[in-house]
Amino acid sequence: MSDIPTHLKYTAEHEWVESLSTDTVRVGITDFAQHALGDIVYVLTPKVGESVRAGAVCGEVESTKSVSEIYAPVNGTISAINDAVVANPETINTAPYSSGWLFEVSSVAAQEVDALLDSSAYATITLGT
Amino acid sequence: MESPLLSIHTTLGAKMGDFAGWLMPLEYPAPVGGGTLTEHQAVREAVGLFDVSHLGKISIVGPGAKQWANQIFTNDLNRIAAGQAQYSLLCNDEGGVVDDVIIYCHGDDELLVVPNAANAESVFAILQGKNSQGLSIANRHNDFAVIAVQGPLSQELLRKVGLHQDLEYMSFAQVTFDGVTFTLCRTGYSGEHGYELLPPSEIAVRVWNELSREALASGGKIAGLGARDTLRTEMGYPLHGHELSLTISPLDANISWAIGWRKEAFLGHEALRIQQAKGVARLLRGLLLTERGIPRGGMLVRNGAGAVVGEITSGTFSPTLKEGIALALIESGIEVGEQLMIDVRGRSLGAVVVKPPFVPSHVRDQ
Repeated sequence: MSDIPTHLKYTAEHEWVESLSTDTVRVGITDFAQHALGDIVYVLTPKVGESVRAGAVCGEVESTKSVSEIYAPVNGTISAINDAVVANPETINTAPYSSGWLFEVSSVAAQEVDALLDSSAYATITLGT
Repeated sequence: MESPLLSIHTTLGAKMGDFAGWLMPLEYPAPVGGGTLTEHQAVREAVGLFDVSHLGKISIVGPGAKQWANQIFTNDLNRIAAGQAQYSLLCNDEGGVVDDVIIYCHGDDELLVVPNAANAESVFAILQGKNSQGLSIANRHNDFAVIAVQGPLSQELLRKVGLHQDLEYMSFAQVTFDGVTFTLCRTGYSGEHGYELLPPSEIAVRVWNELSREALASGGKIAGLGARDTLRTEMGYPLHGHELSLTISPLDANISWAIGWRKEAFLGHEALRIQQAKGVARLLRGLLLTERGIPRGGMLVRNGAGAVVGEITSGTFSPTLKEGIALALIESGIEVGEQLMIDVRGRSLGAVVVKPPFVPSHVRDQ
């Protein structure tokens, strides 16, 4: 069973979203996703200042065997990148919900975050696959 | 078809994948494995235990078996004697590669051919079709397991379980376990000092359990086919379907050393001699990325002017070098040391042409 913390929001593309303030979120990939990918060896993140559109590709996560795209979970502007995870992508495997975060998005509408999946809805998705 | 060791992998919780109809382990969870990177590192630094029972096994027995096979496979079997193994190719009349194989010479009248899982049936069919002198050619795909023990501690591991024999690289001997005698070969696909064991299927689990207990006790890991692929890519070893195929000749793949040019005939020899005389337009080379990123099979390779000069056949992240590496078929005029670009999903990443292996080979180390 994969770990799905209840205080986070999720997307069907196996990303988690954590509200840091009323209009800023932190984004990463879920424990389920890191397990399915295997050893992660490369991360391509968006750039700080870049505008992202909900549902659009904004990065990549690669394991030894395959590549997986990262989708922006919400509309907004990239306000921070986790440089440590770019340098040490394996952090995503060991700590997907903490030090393995990928980027932060600001200028986010609160209702977009509310509309994301909650942990039980996301758990249903992981069981279906 | 399934490996006689399948239940071991599922019990260990291995991530499984389909290989030519065989459900085989890709990687294992910790502590026995720990994922491709950990399993890869264990083979480079300690020892790794692999199930590669999906490899084919075709026996050729009867008077003159060796000389008969020497007119079929590309390499010259007269270079080896009983107790030695040889890398060889089965080509078609056009010089395309049906499969690459290891041939174990038990004597002038007995060989064991080990093809890739996906090609075992085609190799068997071609050999049967050429069998005009009543040799006994048998597809023994399910009769044996193939267990690979690879890494600097492999010799010590075999000694601990009482299966050790002093062997030169590419040679083999018979060992006995629980009263059953089978073949132990100094062969492998990792670039490390290593062995492959061919126990009959009915004792495979017992042999595996013994090896696995000792491997884990000495800091080794159980390793999956994920690590096997990153290990072989670091060595620049070709994989059929990627670096060799019906449309990629041995000359394209830069392995003409596996062709016995002095032999009068072998399948595809006329086409290959013409290719050799004319020269090939493309050659298999190594590419080492000079920027962060991971090349993958099918990606295009371009020169400084942006013109396409080749295509990647296999690419991965090198767990040893921590860089992207690739094998690629590129224009034969391009030399080692030249700078090229790889088109990675729209990003253009720099790479330098190198001569594999990407990391030093230790297959002949004592």
